Amino acid sequence: MVVLRHMRRPVFALIVVYAVGITGMALIPGTGVDGNPEKMSLFHAFYFFTYTATTTGFGEIPNAFSDEQRLWAIFCLYMGAIAWLYAIGSIIRLVQNPHFTTAVNEHSFARGVRRLTDPFVIICGFGDTGSLLARGLSDHSIRATVLDRDPERIKAFAVRDYRVRMLGLCAQPDVPRHLIDAGVRQPMCKAVVALTNEEDTNRQIAIVAKLLNPAVKVISRSTSERHCKHLSSLRDVQVVNPFAVFAELLDMAIVTPLQHNLNSWLVGVPGTRLGYPLTVPCGEWILCGYGRMGQELHRRLVCHGIHVVVIDPDVDECVAPGRVVRGFADHDTLREAGVEQAAGIVAGTDSDSDNLGILVCVQHLNTDAFTVVRQNRHENQLAFDAAKADLILQSSLTTARRILKTLISPLINELIDYLHGKDQPTKEIINRLQAAVGERTPHLFRIGITSEEALAVMEYLDTGMQLVLGDLFLDPGKLDEALPCVPLVIRRASGLVMLPGDTETVNRGDGILFCGTVGSERLLRATLNNPYTLHQLTTGVEEPRGYFFQWLDRKLSSRHGLS
Amino acid sequence: MNFERVVFGFFTILALTFNLVFVIGEIDNPSHHDVWILTIAILVNLIATGLKLGDRSQIGALLLAASLVADLLLISARIFWIVAESDSATGPTAESMATIVSLAAGALAANVVSAIILIGDALMSRR
Repeated sequence: MVVLRHMRRPVFALIVVYAVGITGMALIPGTGVDGNPEKMSLFHAFYFFTYTATTTGFGEIPNAFSDEQRLWAIFCLYMGAIAWLYAIGSIIRLVQNPHFTTAVNEHSFARGVRRLTDPFVIICGFGDTGSLLARGLSDHSIRATVLDRDPERIKAFAVRDYRVRMLGLCAQPDVPRHLIDAGVRQPMCKAVVALTNEEDTNRQIAIVAKLLNPAVKVISRSTSERHCKHLSSLRDVQVVNPFAVFAELLDMAIVTPLQHNLNSWLVGVPGTRLGYPLTVPCGEWILCGYGRMGQELHRRLVCHGIHVVVIDPDVDECVAPGRVVRGFADHDTLREAGVEQAAGIVAGTDSDSDNLGILVCVQHLNTDAFTVVRQNRHENQLAFDAAKADLILQSSLTTARRILKTLISPLINELIDYLHGKDQPTKEIINRLQAAVGERTPHLFRIGITSEEALAVMEYLDTGMQLVLGDLFLDPGKLDEALPCVPLVIRRASGLVMLPGDTETVNRGDGILFCGTVGSERLLRATLNNPYTLHQLTTGVEEPRGYFFQWLDRKLSSRHGLS
Repeated sequence: MNFERVVFGFFTILALTFNLVFVIGEIDNPSHHDVWILTIAILVNLIATGLKLGDRSQIGALLLAASLVADLLLISARIFWIVAESDSATGPTAESMATIVSLAAGALAANVVSAIILIGDALMSRR
């Protein structure tokens, strides 16, 4: 309707010009075929005016014009052409109007979102983290709607190649109207993820999303303590603080290297090989950069009784316990901090060039030191890979991975927490995973024992028989071998079963988290829905298919029974 | 080797081959197509359909559907033959023959689908 309102004047001008031109042409006398004076009919006048005004110009139709008519035709041509230019110019102005474009984009975005029938996630903020998260969701065939206020990022988003269709809109993500457009009120909306660079915007998104749809899960990134506290007080809002996640990871690498290795492998940190845990030395450590991340790391390291030397240009001696070297981390300050004897070095400043510089310096001065480096920008990945640090902590990747795991397999965090401090079960599970998956990329998937996902299993359980987990993931092609997948956690009404054994019974409504290969998921899902395969796996006997063979089978077995 | 699989595969493939035997030849030449072969093809198809009844798996449902399509088309072709024969003393004309063979060719497509599913299932189970 907004188009019509803007087009009122040009359309009016066209109508007037057409009316004047056609009336004049119809009134002016001309010459007929037979030479008698004849006026042009209204239809012919309209036909003539149409091709003249649009500058098409077929010539003098239906008969050659009289001079009076030609005079009027000149007038018609100029008047009509100008009226059309005016009308077309108005349309083009309207289309180029940024407000109009925004309105059209919003409208088509909201319509696209309303039509979504699969579960989807709303990503607010499409920076490094947002784009990594979108990529991860796409790999798991989960849709996302993206809001970002930077038009350049939305343009970049539009040319990405995703497995499933993603919808993006350039808009302020904390405006309630835009969140509704992005589908926060739709039942299929699984979560709202706030990843903008401003803390206040993230908080606003979390609050607005919770008010608009109290059932929706909200995940927000936050690095300030005040906002973390504020957000955590909201119900069902999860806060991801990249610095705290870093510190946790380093903590895990120091205290429980086995679990850290398993976690890195499962959450897909590139280059992690299962069963090769890091060995973090416990001598003197040097911490370069005492910002928000530095403080978190410092606290954790000191907790484990590690002696830490801090290098930072503006740190107070009293704030940081232990030795402090004032100044930027370079060759001299590093030597002053005692880099030659240091067991580990953390390059944790917020500048990638500084961090890389520290790494290069350290590799000259002390080749044995354990190096932990913070990578700030995702685009510098190759440089950091080449620098060969022992542990790379990348804010956007860590955050995106953490959020992705929360969305896709929340049970995995529970499992890692459960394994904390239990080295024997961890070693066992690592051995099983190594045997099943080996060097391939781990694939986490969850199957639900419901009639939608596992029809054959439900039918089997309805007959009153017991089904054990070990039978379920036997390889239907070999029968005596298991598929390359390992059950990690069962979630049932009575609670969680961690690392279930093969003899664990499968009940209705169980959700089972597996880690395996993509192919194993396909075969396992086929078994769950094929009663014959399931029967063969549980009993080892192939059940006759079809009424005729069942009848024949009964006949034969009863005869065997008689003889 | 499984006796059930042998019988099942035998009838599925026999249905396909009899169907092909009938269809092969010039489409409108009555001397190339034999009514006895058509009748046997219908019989074998019906037996194959009967063996497929009662299978609860997805593949079983698909096999049964393909078999029912083949039955439907072959029986239509046979009925058409009867009608065409009653109209003229010398047997079906070239035009009616073309229709009959087209119907049987449709049934052949359904039988080919059946055979492909059967082979695919056997390969999938890798035993």
